[in-house]
Amino acid sequence: MSGRDYLGEFEHIIVLALLRLADRAYGVTVRQEIEFRTNREVSIGAVYATLDRLETKGYVKSHRGDPTPERGGRSKRFFRVTAKGVAAVNRTQRALQSMTEGLGLIRSYQ
Amino acid sequence: MTSQADFVQPPRIANWLVNLFAAGEGESLIGDMLEEFSHLTSKSGVAFARKWYWRQTRKTIAHLVGNAFRVAPWLTAATVIGGLFLNRLVSGLPEQAIFAVLHKYHVFDHHFSAYVFFATDGLAIGHVIASMFVGCVVALAAKGREMVATMTLALVLGAMAGAASLVLVARGHDSFPPWMLPWYFADWFAIVIGGAIVRMRRSSATTLPSVA
Repeated sequence: MSGRDYLGEFEHIIVLALLRLADRAYGVTVRQEIEFRTNREVSIGAVYATLDRLETKGYVKSHRGDPTPERGGRSKRFFRVTAKGVAAVNRTQRALQSMTEGLGLIRSYQ
Repeated sequence: MTSQADFVQPPRIANWLVNLFAAGEGESLIGDMLEEFSHLTSKSGVAFARKWYWRQTRKTIAHLVGNAFRVAPWLTAATVIGGLFLNRLVSGLPEQAIFAVLHKYHVFDHHFSAYVFFATDGLAIGHVIASMFVGCVVALAAKGREMVATMTLALVLGAMAGAASLVLVARGHDSFPPWMLPWYFADWFAIVIGGAIVRMRRSSATTLPSVA
């Protein structure tokens, strides 16, 4: 089912965070964006583990930025979503919408 | 302008641990943690930032270990199985080497106390060195997953020793003598130390020079 895969829950959140952050997306900003929007504490290790998985699947690409002193001379690793990644997030989003349609989840569980 | 926060270092042990477990992404991952630590130090204080750093370290290591199994389960399994065979191969060598030397120089006849030392503690030390060698070889084979492979191997060996001990007791034999237990732990620990040595060597070879 390669190429027709859906994103997992955390993969979905990460890809949406990358799309929101655009060219500012690296470990720190991705982690903070997710914490800010979901109110859930996320470890940097979880973010990197998922980003690596997404990169292996071809949904995400990364490149290195310049090293900075506040990072102990270490460079940032910037991420961006590929066309394949956008297709996957759209597919997942449509599947979720289709599954929740007509259930009135928000009204009945609030 | 540099503030006091710029000079506060994160917990060294936490940093070292993350570095041990982080493979290719180590540089940017630690850089991200340092950047957030630096911001938190100036925003919420050193104590809070250090607590946050340790919490991130614990969670990050757990994720990196899980990820290593998910991303390369066959490589990890192959290196652990290879490590078991290698351990079986080399575990008898210290005994052969030490007793060959003891017999050649007639140590039993001339220096009995030295003979006792080499036949007991010397042998145990030889096993620890052999275990460290096994750990190094396994870590060299498990590139990028040194710690996961060696820790798994140590756990498997520990489980096998525990199972063997239970079988011996169930069959009415004596289990391992209690004084041997610390040496067994030392063997398993030495495997992990071997992995850490290889990991640190690789890490220092790939670390970029710091920006002044």
